[in-house]
Formats: sequence, C-alpha cells, structure tokens
Amino acid sequence: MDEYHNGNEGSFNSEEADNIVKECIENVVGGEDYSQSQVNKWTASIVERCLTQLVKQGKPYKFIVTCAVMQKTGAGLHTANSCYWDTSMDGSSTVRWENRTMYCVVSVFAVAIA
Amino acid sequence: MDEYQTEEETAFIVEDVSKIIKESVEAAIGGSTYQHSRVNQWTTSVVEQCLSQLSKLGKPFKYIVTCIIMQKNGAGLQTASACFWDNSTDGKMNHYIIENTVLNYHTLGKLQARIHR
Repeated sequence: MDEYHNGNEGSFNSEEADNIVKECIENVVGGEDYSQSQVNKWTASIVERCLTQLVKQGKPYKFIVTCAVMQKTGAGLHTANSCYWDTSMDGSSTVRWENRTMYCVVSVFAVAIA
Repeated sequence: MDEYQTEEETAFIVEDVSKIIKESVEAAIGGSTYQHSRVNQWTTSVVEQCLSQLSKLGKPFKYIVTCIIMQKNGAGLQTASACFWDNSTDGKMNHYIIENTVLNYHTLGKLQARIHR
C-alpha cells in the first residue's frame, strides 16, 4: 500500500527557502561595498551557507544553489531558468537582493528524491 | 525484475550537450547587440531551446538550465553554484560566451530521474 504525503510534506516550501537565502546573503554581504578582490569569496560563501542551511532541514531533496553578484554600474542584467522535472514534487525559488553598490541574485532548485 | 539501462543510455555526453547549448545561443542571439527591450525574449528563448533539445535526447534525467545575459559596460559579475546531490549519477556543466556586447553564461544541471516501470 502506498503512503500518501500531504501537500506540505510532498512539495517544496519556497517561502522557507527564501527566508534562509535572505539571511545568508545578509550575513555575507550585508553592509559591504562591491569589491573585486572579495566578490569571489562572497559568492562561494553565499552558496555554501545556503546549501548547508537547506540540507539541515532534512527533507528528501537534492539541491542546486546558484548565485550571481553584479556591480552596479548601469549595465543591464537578465537571468532566466527553465526546468524539466516533476512539477508536483520539485520546485525552485529566486531571491533578488541589492544594496548601494551591487546586485545579488540567488536561485535555489530542489529536486525530490524519489 | 528491473531492466537495467546500458551505460550509454544513462551517460552525460558533454560534447552533445555543449553543442546543444552553443546552437541554442547562436539561434537566439547570434550577432545581436545588447538591447534592453529584447533581452527578456532572448533569455527565455535560449533556455527553452536548450531544454527542448535536451529532453529530446531521451536520457533518464531531470534538467535545470539557467542563463544570464549581461550588457558589457565594465561592470564586474561573479557567479557561483553549489549542489547537494548524488555525485555518481548527477552532474553539471557551465558554458560561457562573450560576444561583442553580450555576455552569456549558462549552467546546466542534470539529476538522475528514477524511471518507474
């Protein structure tokens, strides 16, 4: 007999993920100005922290976290993503953050482990 | 009794995927100059093209394709990604193109999908 999961357990909670991501971004670059020498460290730090926090939730998911940090100089930036997966179980969320000198865009993709 | 797929059917062939990405990008924006009004259409077009070609490969994978298009005006851009998955079955590749005025950066992630028989 199959076990049925209720809606909450089965699908990806994007709001919770958003909060986790926002917190990680704030902790790493909140209050900093764009610095070419540091940005490498920042992006690595952001994705690592987000991933650790997400995995701590203990849900049966594989995760992919991507982060882009861009200096504010008036250039245009556009991102898109597209996924081929199980729409009932898998999900994603994207957080856009900015301060005076830079933009930060973090995307989280969660793929259910069957 | 489970049927096991041959290694060929389940392997991630980098050249094939690389070709798919290059072709999708060429088709969508080859030779164009950055235009704010059109960039939305370009990013969508690139990821959709890639995804449909990849799913045509018929491998037992789920795919995630991301695309970043940035105008070249001297701004710094740094990207990173981290993944929590099964290293033996899952993988990703990045593809990076700079044309005259457009910087195009692709990430493709693939995760093994269980085929239930």
